[in-house]
Amino acid sequence: MKNFNTTFRLTAVAAAMLAAYGSAFAEDDDIKQLTKPDSSISVGAGYWSNDRPQQGVFDGMRDDHGYALIDADVVKRDDATGTWFKFKGDSLGLESRKISVEVQQQGNMGGFVNYSRIPRESPVEIRSGIRGVGSERMTISGAGANALPFHDVDLATYRDLIHVGFSKNLLKDVDVKLSFKNEEKNGSRHWGMGSQALFLAEPIDSTTQQLDVTLEYSGEKLQVAGGYAGSWYRNQNDMVFGRVNGAAQPGSTSSPNPVPLSLPLDNEAHQFFLNAGYSFTPSTRGTLKVSRSVATQDESLPSRNLAAPNNAFVGAPHKLDGEIVTSLVELGLSSRPTSKLSLNANLRYYDVDDNTPLVGLVGNNTTRVVTVHNTPHSYETKSGKFEASYLLPQRFKLIGGIDIKEQDRSAPKFVSERFVPFNEKIDETTYRVQLRRSMSETVNGSVAFLHSIRDGSSRVSPHDPEIFDTINPLHISDRTRNKVRLSMDWAPVEAFSMQFNVEDSHDDYAREDGRPFGLKDGRATLVSVDARYAVSDKWQVTGWASHDVTRAKQLAGRWAQNTGIFEMLKDAKLEDTGNSVGLGLRGAVSAKLQVGADVQWTRTESSYDEDTTLTGLGGLQATYPTSGGVTGRRLADIESTLTRLSMFARYAVRKNADVQLDLIHERWKTDDWTWSFADGSPFTYGTTTDGTTVSIKPKQVANFIGMRYIYKFQ
Amino acid sequence: MKSLGKALRLCAFAVLAGSLFPALTATAAEKEVPKDIVLTGDAKCTTCHDENDSPEALRIGKTKHGTVADKRTPGCTNCHGESEKHVKEAGRGSGPTPPVDVGFTKKNLSSAEAQNASCLNCHQGSTRIFWQNSTHARRDVTCASCHSIHDSHDKVREAKSQPEVCSNCHKEQRAQFARPSHHPVPEGQMSCSSCHNVHGDNPSQLAKPSVNETCYSCHMEKRGPFVHNHQPVAEDCAICHNPHGTNVANLLKARAPYLCQECHSHDSHPSQLAGLPTDRTTSTSLLGTVGRGCLNCHTNIHGGNSTVNSATAGRFRR
Repeated sequence: MKNFNTTFRLTAVAAAMLAAYGSAFAEDDDIKQLTKPDSSISVGAGYWSNDRPQQGVFDGMRDDHGYALIDADVVKRDDATGTWFKFKGDSLGLESRKISVEVQQQGNMGGFVNYSRIPRESPVEIRSGIRGVGSERMTISGAGANALPFHDVDLATYRDLIHVGFSKNLLKDVDVKLSFKNEEKNGSRHWGMGSQALFLAEPIDSTTQQLDVTLEYSGEKLQVAGGYAGSWYRNQNDMVFGRVNGAAQPGSTSSPNPVPLSLPLDNEAHQFFLNAGYSFTPSTRGTLKVSRSVATQDESLPSRNLAAPNNAFVGAPHKLDGEIVTSLVELGLSSRPTSKLSLNANLRYYDVDDNTPLVGLVGNNTTRVVTVHNTPHSYETKSGKFEASYLLPQRFKLIGGIDIKEQDRSAPKFVSERFVPFNEKIDETTYRVQLRRSMSETVNGSVAFLHSIRDGSSRVSPHDPEIFDTINPLHISDRTRNKVRLSMDWAPVEAFSMQFNVEDSHDDYAREDGRPFGLKDGRATLVSVDARYAVSDKWQVTGWASHDVTRAKQLAGRWAQNTGIFEMLKDAKLEDTGNSVGLGLRGAVSAKLQVGADVQWTRTESSYDEDTTLTGLGGLQATYPTSGGVTGRRLADIESTLTRLSMFARYAVRKNADVQLDLIHERWKTDDWTWSFADGSPFTYGTTTDGTTVSIKPKQVANFIGMRYIYKFQ
Repeated sequence: MKSLGKALRLCAFAVLAGSLFPALTATAAEKEVPKDIVLTGDAKCTTCHDENDSPEALRIGKTKHGTVADKRTPGCTNCHGESEKHVKEAGRGSGPTPPVDVGFTKKNLSSAEAQNASCLNCHQGSTRIFWQNSTHARRDVTCASCHSIHDSHDKVREAKSQPEVCSNCHKEQRAQFARPSHHPVPEGQMSCSSCHNVHGDNPSQLAKPSVNETCYSCHMEKRGPFVHNHQPVAEDCAICHNPHGTNVANLLKARAPYLCQECHSHDSHPSQLAGLPTDRTTSTSLLGTVGRGCLNCHTNIHGGNSTVNSATAGRFRR
């Protein structure tokens, strides 16, 4: 009887039910799998075999130990109401973690809370006697008996961001959106003593907040978005005192001990904006953009109340009352008068008006003569763009355009406080032409040429013009720019495609009579090739290579101290070269096993080729000065290479669960001398005091192994 | 016992027959009125493009477009057009099937404007108001050039995978991100859209109207206004920095003293020749290159608020 029952259940009933509903269930299940949101949770562990000071700056895995690898992506949707529930956790076991929670009834309202942490761990090794890193009062190791015990200093900064948002559909086509961000920045970054080249760390503990409220209307023809954007910066510290241990206090006016160093002060900005677009016809659209923002900085100046030798100028205000008003008005028009012709035009007015009152901040308390004022800078930019494109036979398109920019700029009022030349007016006209072929199945591409001329007038000279006015600063210098770009996509068959890209840009800076110095010319070239080949439905190979060179030719002079006599001409050719190769492989060994591998190899080189000509005049007739037996040496080239091989294998242990093995081999090598003396030894601050050493680890090799279990569900 | 078994088998047969009958009749009825699978009105398409023919198309159900409770969501024809010719002639005859009215693959001949119009019918508002004047639109970039509409994990909408999409065209930036000093985009801590509104018409398609306003979003301590403003800092961060990546620390385009000497022609130590000191020194004429270069002393180069000592206050040393 027992056998009978079992046999009966397993045969007749099962067969009946399966025949009746089985295929329908399977079909429903297939459809559900294809159409319902997916979720997954991944838990595992990984281990780096060595420290990665250079490659681990941001990824939260700088040190040689184990890490928890936890990720989650849970997405649920209530189909009846269209309500989404999302939880996303990324790198939850690492310093670089992100968490996001969102609930949204689509088409009605929703809200989210995001949290993220961005670490930035300094890649250099620092050993110092400094005390008080992270605070407003730091003590630097003194000379002889005043030396302080040395220790490792790990500089790092952390940004902890909480972002809260809410949106609500108020009426048909009308939505309101709120966004609030609160970011806490903590930690310290590499800094300096200011008056002397000694090691200090800047405490950056501060809070940044941003509030955006936007009301949007999105109608069929008219779309409008307007609202308010406010932002606040609050620094927990306003001034730092750096003291050299054992040095005489309070020191002199030029060399106080401790040295007061200013920090960024609290500031805030409030902006109202309106963006609008109207489609006059399906092919003609006008747009308007208007905004006005006021940024202020009116915190008490902390150094204003210091005692001697740092006592302030009696006429100096206690607050800057800084105010910058930024206004933007932009009109745009796009039209397709015929099926082959498209036109775009744009007029823009952008005004950054620094309304901060000009005040004397430093001066002689006996003569009451002001020697230093604050330095507000204002810019008013008017620009216009016009572009036309015409569709030619064979899907070719010819595009031509012109951009015109006129800028009025301010210059410091007092000539004694101008250390570089200024320009009160800059004009720039850019012409562009492009021939492109797109939307083709096999060959697409474009060739583009850009020619731009920048010139200025109303040059405002600095003081000591025989020296200070002999240069054309790169951002205001007259300049001619020519740029060409060629790109081609080739996909002869569906399984194979290639991309070729060549870009070359050449800047020629004017060298007027009497102003020979500054950048002479700059050039940037890039060549790249990308390819993809689908070997089969299951295997795909990708590859890319790029070569880029950036060159700058720069002429500069050297003048003797005190006499100002010209003693050396310096003609430098600076070049940065980058070569990169990337290869990728993705494939399925079986229905259950997927594998992949990526190789990235990048080599960057910087060269500093400089010719010098001594004039035989001036105070120094050697290439480098000698001070206390120390002199200078020419710069060597720098070469840095990164090789990174990563592989993974993912095996489906169940229909809804995978295990994944990750392996990475990473090799970073550099001869960067930034923190080295001429003989390659680590740079050391000071001579008798400080003694902080800073160095870069020239070879960093590390291996990673990670294993994770991935559970998938709907 | 045998009769009991017979009876039960009969019952099972009855259940089987009874179950199959409505299923069979329903199947016949459904042939006449096809049922939607995912989207409202999709039966017109999913009759052929079902889970066996086009499983990837049905994945739109996983996305926001597939949330049918939101009455604004489209059906297939809202984006692809009614495509009557395609529907009528598909599978008939030996010739190729006519394409749908609006397709988003290279095989479809729809113009960029036609493709984008499908999306802009609903998505013209918010941050896309200025799309038609954007560089992307003017260069025939389509929404589908970057977005995978049927994929719930649209690569371009996820920070870690977004640069892969952008670098399909922006090779220069890809090369720059491979340099030793870069924003944490390759690490997935930022994405291209952290700074760029690729649907907008701001210069360089930035998220804000200017470079500086964009940078201040995260680097608000540089906004000032300071007591002592460094002019190029107040004008454009990109004069000294390349935000995508450089060979010099802190994204500097060139290292000191070369960078500083692009604007400053000066006597005394500011005009020093670049070089490394042979040993420890406090000579400012030998410290303009090593370490932080000129910034070893001019440490508040982005602006200072000091009122102390005229020789230092206006020169970003304090």
